Amino acid sequence: MRIEAKDLTFTYSKKSKAISNRALENVSLCIEEGEFFGIIGQTGSGKTTFVQHLNGLIRVQKDSGSLSVGEFDLTAKKCDLKALRSRVGMVFQYPEYQLFAETVKDDVAFGLRNFKKELSLEEEERRVKLAIETVGLNYEEIKDKSPFELSGGQKRRVAIAGVIVTEPEVLVLDEPVAGLDPVGKRDFMKLLHRLHASFVKTIILVTHDMNVVSENCTRCAIFSHGKIHSVGSPKEIFSNYEQLIELGLDIPVTAYLERELKKLGIDVDSDLTESDFADKTAKAIVGGKQ
Amino acid sequence: MKDVTFGQFFPAQSFVHKLDARIKILLSIAFMVAVFMVQAFQFMGFVACLLFVLVVTALAKVPFGKVLRSIKGILFFIVFSAVLQLLFNKNGTTLWHWKFITITDKGLLNAGFIICKITLVVLGASLLTLTTSPVDIADGIESLMYPLKWIKFPVHEFALIMSIALRFIPTLLDETDRIIKAQKARGANFESGNVFKRAKALVPVLIPLLISAFRRAEELADAMDARCYSGSKNRTKYKKMRLTWRDAIATLVVGGLITGVVFLNITGFLAVVL
Repeated sequence: MRIEAKDLTFTYSKKSKAISNRALENVSLCIEEGEFFGIIGQTGSGKTTFVQHLNGLIRVQKDSGSLSVGEFDLTAKKCDLKALRSRVGMVFQYPEYQLFAETVKDDVAFGLRNFKKELSLEEEERRVKLAIETVGLNYEEIKDKSPFELSGGQKRRVAIAGVIVTEPEVLVLDEPVAGLDPVGKRDFMKLLHRLHASFVKTIILVTHDMNVVSENCTRCAIFSHGKIHSVGSPKEIFSNYEQLIELGLDIPVTAYLERELKKLGIDVDSDLTESDFADKTAKAIVGGKQ
Repeated sequence: MKDVTFGQFFPAQSFVHKLDARIKILLSIAFMVAVFMVQAFQFMGFVACLLFVLVVTALAKVPFGKVLRSIKGILFFIVFSAVLQLLFNKNGTTLWHWKFITITDKGLLNAGFIICKITLVVLGASLLTLTTSPVDIADGIESLMYPLKWIKFPVHEFALIMSIALRFIPTLLDETDRIIKAQKARGANFESGNVFKRAKALVPVLIPLLISAFRRAEELADAMDARCYSGSKNRTKYKKMRLTWRDAIATLVVGGLITGVVFLNITGFLAVVL
């Protein structure tokens, strides 16, 4: 599903349309199907407000631009939000705080039961099992446990299983790696790539972690004060170190190293992923000596 | 969810805002007593009370619309009591009669007075909450309850519970908002269905909310422990409440109002007797 926002504006307080109250201002952005899209920006820059528009949690306000997700026109008054939400999954920050059911199985099945009521019990179980196994947990071992007796990492996985169980085409994640240790982070990103390779066609990742962006995203957008500052590949975005610092952001380690190496006269032109950077740096240094 | 305002404090720099919270609480209670003391058929009493509310509102620099808005919440209650008076007061001369419904002149008058009384009481209470921050009110109540210590009532702990509850309301509202959104994203539907269905739909919101409230309580307890918090013994206050000339003036004015109402009652009573 292609996502297209045009001049999207959002004001939190309904009464005053004052510019200072605007969480979003004339945001125009196109996200093609198949992208692994990163959204970065300071706290309060409007990233979360923007992504919550994508599945209709926040409705497009009157005369405030247009937004379409696939065949869904979110500007229209009548929009089948249920169908939309089953196809655009959303993982919130600290998703483990949304668990509520008595067993892991019931919790994961919650979305399925809401969206696809006609499903047979066997089909439901098959899908729940698939979702739990996709997030890397053992179904038989965990299905009848209470979600509250799991460890923090397991809870988060179960919560994510509860979102992907409906096999959404677009998956939006708001700070999904916050509070995870390095291994947990890496495992989590691997999981996202696995999903991206199967039924999830588009992944939209809201994050503060520039390394996650450079390592995984095909393109990214910088939000600043409710506006889009720039859109492009990580390489393009992170080439302007000074501007990013000015916006209160940072650049990934690889971009930083590349910059420092350039000062030493070693020109490494990688795509900023760790493996590519390592390869090209090695080549540049060895090549330089020769 | 953002529209839910609890404690409608309207910050401003004014005579009323600067009054001591304890005095304000006591005077609000006194004002309500005065309103209830006004006997029916004494317009002057109501006029005086209304005038008082208007003057205080003006002094407090609070927009009058904000004060009036507090009535909205109990509008049903006001109308309900007035209708009861209207229908079931059988004294006085009959004005209108239809089957079992009888409306008398006294009923009509009483209904009018009930409306005036409740409205004035609510206006007085909302003036208190509009001009006093929740924290100050909690502090004031603690100070006013101090005498209860004689009967071993844990005043300080009670006040602490109050201020913690107040402090966590916005936090829990934010949390509720987030959980509702998360469950909506998973297809939860809070808007349709009958009452029971809607109540059941709230379970996926209430359970995570309850759990997070307990988690927060535990974290707060740990944080307080880590800073060696230990109840009320030898604790000093950062903000000491002091009575000033303002409080004296306010007390005099409210005292005057009550005296006036009592005086009106006595003259009214004498007029009837003599």
